[in-house]
Amino acid sequence: MDDIIIAILRSGTPLVYVTLAGVIAQRAGVWHLGLEGLMITGACATILGIYLSGSVVLALIVAIAACVVGSILFWFVIEKLKANPIIAGLGLTGLGLGGTALAVQSIFGTQAAVNAPFGLPRLGPAFGSYGVLSVFVLLMPVFVFAMWVLLRRTRFGLKLAACGEHPFAARSVGVNPSAMRLAALMIGGVFCAIGGAELAAGSLQIFAQNMTSGRGFMAFAAVIFGAAHPVGAAFAALFFAVVGAIGIRAQLIFGDNVPHDLLLGLPYIATIFGIWLSTRLRGGNKTAASFGELRDY
Amino acid sequence: MPATRDHPQPALRCRDISVNFGDVTALSEVSADFAPGMIHAVVGQNGAGKTTFARVAAGLIRPDAGEVIVAGNAVRTGNVNDVRQAGVELVHQSFALPPSFTVAEAMEFGASGSGFLYSRRKLEQRWQAHLESLDVKVDDRARVRDLPVEIQQSVEIARALVADAKILILDEPTAVLSPSGIANLFERIEKLKQRGVTIILILHKIREVLSVADTVTVLRGGMRVEGPIDCAGINAGQLAELIIGSAAPREINADDRVALTGAGTVAHAESHSADTTAIPMLEMQSVSTHRDAEGPALEDVSLVIRPHEIVGVAGVEGNGQRSLVRALSALSDLAGGTISFEGTDVTRKPLSGRRAAGLRVIPFERNVEGLSLSSALWENWSVRELLQKSLLALIKPAELRKRCAQALTSWSVVYNDVSQPAGALSGGNAQKVILAREMDDDARLILAAQPTRGLDIGATTFVWQSLRSARERGCGILLISSDLDEIFDICDRVIVVLSGRIVGDFSAPYDIAEVGAAMTGAVR
Amino acid sequence: MRDRIVPVLRGLIFIVIGLVLCGVIFTIAGYSAPLMFQSIAEGAFLRPRAFEHALRWGLPLFITAVGVGISFRAGYFNIGAQGQFYVGAIFAAFAAEWLNGAPAVLVIPACFAAGMLGGALWAFWPGLLRLKSGTDEVITTLMGNFLAGLLLIYVTSGPLKDPSGSGQQASSRPLDAAYRISDSYGLSPTIVAIALCVGTAMWILVNRTAFGVLAGLAGRNARMIEWQGAQLYRLGLSSFLISGALAGLAGTLEFMGPNGRLASGFLPTHGFTAILIALVANLSVVGTAFVSLFFGGLASAALFMPIMAGLPAAAIDIVNAAIALFITAKSNAIDRLFGSRGRK
Repeated sequence: MDDIIIAILRSGTPLVYVTLAGVIAQRAGVWHLGLEGLMITGACATILGIYLSGSVVLALIVAIAACVVGSILFWFVIEKLKANPIIAGLGLTGLGLGGTALAVQSIFGTQAAVNAPFGLPRLGPAFGSYGVLSVFVLLMPVFVFAMWVLLRRTRFGLKLAACGEHPFAARSVGVNPSAMRLAALMIGGVFCAIGGAELAAGSLQIFAQNMTSGRGFMAFAAVIFGAAHPVGAAFAALFFAVVGAIGIRAQLIFGDNVPHDLLLGLPYIATIFGIWLSTRLRGGNKTAASFGELRDY
Repeated sequence: MPATRDHPQPALRCRDISVNFGDVTALSEVSADFAPGMIHAVVGQNGAGKTTFARVAAGLIRPDAGEVIVAGNAVRTGNVNDVRQAGVELVHQSFALPPSFTVAEAMEFGASGSGFLYSRRKLEQRWQAHLESLDVKVDDRARVRDLPVEIQQSVEIARALVADAKILILDEPTAVLSPSGIANLFERIEKLKQRGVTIILILHKIREVLSVADTVTVLRGGMRVEGPIDCAGINAGQLAELIIGSAAPREINADDRVALTGAGTVAHAESHSADTTAIPMLEMQSVSTHRDAEGPALEDVSLVIRPHEIVGVAGVEGNGQRSLVRALSALSDLAGGTISFEGTDVTRKPLSGRRAAGLRVIPFERNVEGLSLSSALWENWSVRELLQKSLLALIKPAELRKRCAQALTSWSVVYNDVSQPAGALSGGNAQKVILAREMDDDARLILAAQPTRGLDIGATTFVWQSLRSARERGCGILLISSDLDEIFDICDRVIVVLSGRIVGDFSAPYDIAEVGAAMTGAVR
Repeated sequence: MRDRIVPVLRGLIFIVIGLVLCGVIFTIAGYSAPLMFQSIAEGAFLRPRAFEHALRWGLPLFITAVGVGISFRAGYFNIGAQGQFYVGAIFAAFAAEWLNGAPAVLVIPACFAAGMLGGALWAFWPGLLRLKSGTDEVITTLMGNFLAGLLLIYVTSGPLKDPSGSGQQASSRPLDAAYRISDSYGLSPTIVAIALCVGTAMWILVNRTAFGVLAGLAGRNARMIEWQGAQLYRLGLSSFLISGALAGLAGTLEFMGPNGRLASGFLPTHGFTAILIALVANLSVVGTAFVSLFFGGLASAALFMPIMAGLPAAAIDIVNAAIALFITAKSNAIDRLFGSRGRK
């Protein structure tokens, strides 16, 4: 039983962090499909940082800086140049995936996976069999709670929600939606960096091309599934992780009787189901094609 | 300006304010001084620049030139925070509170001070007291979207007063209210005046100006034509003259003039009675619908519209007007009842079928439901016709463009090119495009929902004229409007809706007090 | 006329901005940006027979991109072209497998029908979810891409596995030469003819039928045409199906033409590039044809560069991504520069 929970926490924790980034962006009215690109940037920067500097702290700082810069670029393009957030987000994702591949190629001259000598600090033997997990697993609920407080129990959170829901109302009381979105995206950048770091250095200490394999998009789906509520979205993310773990379990149990490539698809199917269910429950809109455009008024 | 000379320092002084939106001049060198502690009215027809003026004063729009001086101190124009700091607050015409917020949250998000974190209970205690002090009776845990419009407006006013507001600007606060709601609002405003708040009311009904304001300022075409002058020194006729101006586009008859400016009671001089023996154009029998996000359910609505008849629907907004039009347009499912056009049952027909039978709809929101602003004029115009064909039918765009140009010209639309986007037209011209599409020769039953909202006097009288001539041709017309003067002026019969039911049926001559009482459900 | 030129110029300016960003990234990664651009330009446009290479890569992209344009036009953000492309190829491969031995005149049309059916099917369920319950199509089609990728791995290493495969990359048995529509060089009269037919049919559909005008209106303002009595369900679902079928057709083309077999993970950025093409072309069919050639050139450069300059093929992905980042940007400053009428 423990190993299942460990597997779920391992795959779920990075997803939850990135989901939190999506939640705060969504609250501010930004459909954030660049999460995937930021996450892989965080993963790559962490591993390269550890490899090159030998310091986890330094590596995390580099990862956070890279993701925050990426977020600012994204903000500039969608806010100042009024680009469509969905397409720009896909572009950011492409830049992240391609840029990290290029970085690895240029440093190591090969496209093979990069191993770091060590990863994020582990919980240690005091936690028994859970000691193999990184400290960010333990910190995850703390961050979820902190995000909940920030969004639901502070005036900053109210202003942010107003920017997403009714930007004109926000302007009327002197809030600048553009600046609020920048803040939200930058905070999101930090969480993407942590999510990426946890993915690459939380248990494996490895960076491989495309290693996020759609987790950023899944995190975005968790945001929608969880109605942009930090706790709800975190549970949605964990739900996807549980489904993934079930798929892996099923492989071990049924062996070759079920095609294992198709079991790998279970989290994607769960995501589709989740997003269908959440629109179903909320009475989805069948007509409007907003394309995620930012609203100014 | 005798009324203001006693006060050396105006509460709000605007100096030579000019605002341009692209090529359009919204305000040109408008100056006005508003004395403290009084109720000031700013009036003008639609498009005169009233809302722009209010937004400049509130810091939401940075003027191209001019300055705003609050209690002797110039504020940075276009800076909401500065203006709010100086004590100026604006209540918007279409309310500006996030719909999912609770009342307490809506108060909090615009407030300042008192800590970074809050608990739900702390928040509720703080704002319940504030609401009580203003005599707003609402549960502060209620969501803004669930509140009736009149309460929503009170909440919005309470929101504006969270800080120590010295000047409160209300942009067309009466547009959505029933006559008794207006009376309540004015009472509330009087109380605020007694507390020393300077009030600036943007209005467009002379009746309301004269009943509540101390001074009046008239805007026309982005310019100040008069004021602020003492209301005691001017009568309704003179004010109407100032608002309409001498350059009125065409002959306006006396009744229309009164209806346009709210200067008095519409006499409804043209008596017109429909032929009660003719087959009804529309017959609704006990129609009920389900409640949905767009409005309350219709309950047991029966309605007959005959040829040569305009039936008006009066009611406070959100009482089922939308539900009624959507049910007639087959955009919502019926829970019961039947609908027939000219004796043919169309209950089960979709909108395309009903349109083929002669139904035409001028929808509520011109820019969203009526037109696609980013599409070409010819596409907007030809859509009704194209929908009668099969999807794969071949079309000749050149010919459609030519016929569109002819139609638009005959409806006197001012435009450059049929390929230009509809969004480039002014509101009045945009509405004429919709009229050109919906009021063709095959039209039998016309649903006109708020057809004159936001239009200037020329366009408004054009719409009225078009509706009247459609009536002459034998169409049946259902007119939904929140402007009672408009309804009284052009309707042969008026029904009143309240919470999805028809609660009154009146014929000319109309009594505003009676209709108003029906709108709020007060016992007559 | 100016209204048509301004978006093109604006697009070009933002492409240049995107390329500058690429240059910065290349430089940071330790490559020489000028060398990179030089080899891209050479690979794409300047080397001998560059135009034919651009056509080989551009024609399938054109077919997918026209389809993407159809659904975008109707207001649906179907970004599942990649998945529809894969499923189309998979269906065609199964058809070829089952009909193996039958005369080519029978097999080739059957494969095309199967491929288009497969692509349409992979667009059908997101379309249905969108139009029946309002489920956001961006997520569902994206997830569809991942699922189709897994499905491709499954069939190439399972049911259609080539037993004599080297094992490095799973793939299906090579298609019988009689059924191929081109050699591995990838350009043949058949492919050109198919692309021309698709282009003409779609141009007529978009510009000369009621569907074209109505779908465009629905895409820009669905509520307006709902108040006119349009059945959004029919308009929307047919747009999904057309775009899926065309992506499936492109998949079939790649399978029966240049590739000649189904390999797991083949052409992984085809769908994304097609989306870009549709956006750069502003969803116009004629524009899509020209832009496809440009991106077809870039795609051929991706193969050329590692040989030429020892540069990673991922460089082209970065160029494409940077263009995607900026391509939908609007800038008042640029519009004013060209004196375009600003709308309020």
